[in-house]
Amino acid sequence: MASQVFKKGPVTPQMNLTPLIDVVFLLIVFFMLVSNIIAEEAVEMVVPRLDDPKTSELGEVHRITVNVAPQPYSADRLRGNPLDFAGEAYEVKVGLQSFAIDDMAGVIAALEDAVAKGPTDKQGNSTVEVVLRADAALYYDAVQPVMQAITQAGIGKVNLAAFLPGHGQPNAQDKR
Amino acid sequence: MSRDTPSNLTADDADFVFATGPQVVHHRSVRKRRPVRTTRMQLNLTSMIDVIFLLLIYFVVTASFTVGEGVITARLPAGTGMVPRDTRPPERPLNVVLKSTGFADCFIAIDGAGPINNFGELAGTLIALQYDPPQGRSGVYRPDNPVLIRPDGQVRWQHVVNAFNATVKARYSNVAFATTGSS
Repeated sequence: MASQVFKKGPVTPQMNLTPLIDVVFLLIVFFMLVSNIIAEEAVEMVVPRLDDPKTSELGEVHRITVNVAPQPYSADRLRGNPLDFAGEAYEVKVGLQSFAIDDMAGVIAALEDAVAKGPTDKQGNSTVEVVLRADAALYYDAVQPVMQAITQAGIGKVNLAAFLPGHGQPNAQDKR
Repeated sequence: MSRDTPSNLTADDADFVFATGPQVVHHRSVRKRRPVRTTRMQLNLTSMIDVIFLLLIYFVVTASFTVGEGVITARLPAGTGMVPRDTRPPERPLNVVLKSTGFADCFIAIDGAGPINNFGELAGTLIALQYDPPQGRSGVYRPDNPVLIRPDGQVRWQHVVNAFNATVKARYSNVAFATTGSS
């Protein structure tokens, strides 16, 4: 069955898949690692849903994520009104460190530590920002001490997490 | 090419020499010899690629970390490094009062005026109260006038952020949250 053009016989075309596999492996490793790290920092909660939100995505800044976590809940909560839930906080997480809800001294110390390690601008002021994630159903009583702790640690810029425009239906959302 | 047979050899010997001598000509065939098919070892990668793609899709899909979550940036004025301005007359803060009325509801008022039914209306009222001629706003409060959000302790966090969102929408730049003791 030698063809006229290729005297040596029929040529079966073959793709060299090695670089593709290389790239795909790298992607897999990347997503595995990153999803683990992010999941540790983002505690499962329902962030507030706003009327006509002015939220925007946070750019590239040096951030510390502070979570005020609600009581543990099951997936049933997401089917009803997310506010129909206990208002007491469960714990406070600064980055990857967990603190009891009444351990504000520990929270302040952790934040001050992060500020000391973080970057500064030309005047020597810290450029660290805080992302404050708190569950929509929490009482203001539970969140206010954390906000006060953030200001006491010398951080003036706080970003309050809420749903982005167009993402206002927590029922249809991922639980985080 | 001459073939000289030595005279002392017999005919049989001559035949032998003829057969094994250096003058033997090996005829090569005019037809080309077919190449020997060498079987190359090949790994069949198809099934591995299938599995890897499945894994990749799994991780890409599950890695939608904080779905649709954004932030509203607040500068908390209680922080250090804020210099009080003494060149301007002291301003009266605009109080946005939130009171818990039931399990998940709240009552909204501005400086005791109210009630305001929802946060859209709150933003509208805040805009009406603002003094900003380029924007066509002829209220009494400048955009940098302090706005104090005063929730009571039982107000849900969602309402607090909603009130803050309304002040941001009305373009007030100096918004603070009251401590629960002061409300």
